Amino acid sequence: MPALIEAKDLTKRYGSHVALDRANLSIEAGKIVGLIGPNGAGKTSALRAILGLTSYEGQLTVLGREPFKERTSLMGDACFIADVAVLPNWLRVDHAIDFVAGVHPRFRRERAVQFLARTQIAGNRKMRELSKGMKTQVHLALTMAIDAKLLVLDEPTLGLDILARRAFYDALVNDYMDETRTIVITTHQVEEVENLLTDVIFIDKGRIVLDASLEDISTRFAAVTVTAENGPAARAEKPFYERHILGKSVLYFENADPAKLSAFGELHTPSVSDLFVAKLSGGVA
Amino acid sequence: MKTYSWLIRRELWEFRATWIIPAAIGVVMVVATLFGRVDVSAFDSPLATMNMGSMFLVALAALFYTVMSIYSAWYLMDCLYNDRRDRSILFWKSLPVSDTQTVLSKLVMGLVVIPLVFLIASDLTSLLMAFVLSVRARAVFAGVLWHPGTWFQVQVLWLYVLVTTAIWYLPVAGWLMMVSAWAKRAVMLWTVLPLLVVYLIETFFLHTHVVHDVIGRRLAGYAAVAYHGNEQWISQNLSDTSTSPVSVWRFVDVSGFFSSLEVWTGLVVGIAMIIAAIQLRLRRSEI
Repeated sequence: MPALIEAKDLTKRYGSHVALDRANLSIEAGKIVGLIGPNGAGKTSALRAILGLTSYEGQLTVLGREPFKERTSLMGDACFIADVAVLPNWLRVDHAIDFVAGVHPRFRRERAVQFLARTQIAGNRKMRELSKGMKTQVHLALTMAIDAKLLVLDEPTLGLDILARRAFYDALVNDYMDETRTIVITTHQVEEVENLLTDVIFIDKGRIVLDASLEDISTRFAAVTVTAENGPAARAEKPFYERHILGKSVLYFENADPAKLSAFGELHTPSVSDLFVAKLSGGVA
Repeated sequence: MKTYSWLIRRELWEFRATWIIPAAIGVVMVVATLFGRVDVSAFDSPLATMNMGSMFLVALAALFYTVMSIYSAWYLMDCLYNDRRDRSILFWKSLPVSDTQTVLSKLVMGLVVIPLVFLIASDLTSLLMAFVLSVRARAVFAGVLWHPGTWFQVQVLWLYVLVTTAIWYLPVAGWLMMVSAWAKRAVMLWTVLPLLVVYLIETFFLHTHVVHDVIGRRLAGYAAVAYHGNEQWISQNLSDTSTSPVSVWRFVDVSGFFSSLEVWTGLVVGIAMIIAAIQLRLRRSEI
């Protein structure tokens, strides 16, 4: 089965600034992929290209289409929430549902209504009367009611309180996700999404730093907490990152022999957020 | 087609002034008729009353039409800029609606829907005013203002105006939409500034006035193309208003309009500008 999203040498320039620099990535169906990178790393440029919102250089296919040329047909099978709530102030909640139901063949109205019924939001309210969190909920209700093959979420829970955020991710995994769907999600709150991701893509300065499944990560990467006396021996194995916490050192290794490493101290698989910091900082922190 | 009908509905939700403005004009006119002074003694013959009636209907329609033109121009200037400014373009573009459909729906809104809403408002207002007048002036006006011939003529005149202005002003609409799709700020300034610069360059450096003439002709030349207008024609045909009813048919120059080269070149330029606006819409997202 061909990949759902396939990018080869994907490049995006804004004048002399290179936002995406020959990025290669491949995302398969049925995955929940976290696109993770610091601010200005090129996350948004990558998403914009994937969604057909911007022109680009290099090759890119999404659901078998060229996004920029075929955005309209792509949006029949893919949907997205870009950044914070962008529903216009003048729009009424029930009109928003009517409109999407009117123009989107894969929109299931009853699902949107059901989702909104769980919130405090009345249909005759205008977006300008709603809080940022409520607006995001309306947007989520609209998007999750679309039977899409690909759902792209760019910082979807920004501005939501912790209860709403948890409810959103639970709904995403329990009500929405199944093996026919693929979700690409960017967030700076890595901790919040790491237990629902199947794959991660790290992006930094316009380049893909890591593209791996979580299983890959557990076999490829290891972190060892070492005491001071084991330090020099462990460092001889060439960790790619070292971190000092409470007098101990945590050393991060890639493709090292676990049997050897466990001799130095307590061995564990790094979390996505730790790995992210380790990969992007480099050297000793 | 279903998508277009939702897109038009969307515009009517966003631009509520489309019906609020004509409704407000209508209310003001009707209230003025209710409480204003009515003097019908000036009309001495049925024919004079009838001509007065048709002039009154045309004047009322012209009032609505003038306000409509200004509003429609403002709408076209704003319609591709507003959702980029509030970033809601990211929501609209997440739906399977093409940029061509979006731009065309907004063009239809500006050149067809808005004029039609104002026409309906104008009709309702004239009927209400005629009703009030006939009650207050004891039916002197009634048969005249409600005269089916006069009323029907005004409708046809409006539709003629609607079709011919949509064609004649297409390049103007196209220019407004291009700027609206392109500008990052100060849409109104960008609408005028490039034209002004070209005009100044022409005037001071090239000593020509092509741009001035073309734009001036486009903005002010509609009546000359769509209607019989020279003084000789008027004196020959309209000198007998005291003996026969004024007919709008005699002003309207349908064959002249549709055989004018200016009309067709304008149409081609207008279509090119609309295509350019679609291309800009494709490439520009939020500001």
